[in-house]
Amino acid sequence: MNHQLTALLCGTVLAVGFSTSAMAAGDAEKGSSLAATCMGCHGIPSYTNVYPTYHVPKVGGQHADYIAAALKAYQSGERKHPTMQAQAASLSDQDMADIGAYFASFKAK
Amino acid sequence: MKRLNIALFGVLVLLAINTASAGDPAAGKEKSATCAACHGADGNAPTPAFPSLAGQYADYLLQALKEYKSGKRNNPIMAGQVAALTDVDMENLAAYFAEQKGLIAIDIE
Repeated sequence: MNHQLTALLCGTVLAVGFSTSAMAAGDAEKGSSLAATCMGCHGIPSYTNVYPTYHVPKVGGQHADYIAAALKAYQSGERKHPTMQAQAASLSDQDMADIGAYFASFKAK
Repeated sequence: MKRLNIALFGVLVLLAINTASAGDPAAGKEKSATCAACHGADGNAPTPAFPSLAGQYADYLLQALKEYKSGKRNNPIMAGQVAALTDVDMENLAAYFAEQKGLIAIDIE
């Protein structure tokens, strides 16, 4: 029983490890061209969402993993925002990692 | 003189309105201790799974907090965090993290 549990835990840890490393392997250069669409809103400082009105969030310097996770959540519908759900719909996991890597590549001056 | 008084009164009212919606960064800092564990003391998250908040637009941060509270945005960790926060607490937290240096508004111009 204990062995089985240990094996299960090891498997889970390995699986989490692999998925994390897969997500970390984003290509910022590919992300740069994929992100062209994003720039219509996220590339214009102080651009605002409407109904309700608030600033479209800054994504420069954000963690790649978080960006990929957010895109994934929009794609699955877990996170709801009509525009972002539409944007994320056609992205592969690799696309999301690439876009994340691109945004993360921006560094504060 | 009377006109000047009216003008001054108008300016004061506008200032009051602005201040009321802006949030108090110092009060936000005091409330931010719990946030620091995941998002970093100054909002630069040390762990890539958690988003950085430093320098993010205050109104976006406030929107996110409100959506966690209403359940529109569904995240078990964040739901627990915001449960005890008042609207003013959320405004103050948003003001505090928005003031920190971190995220960048990408400018494609």
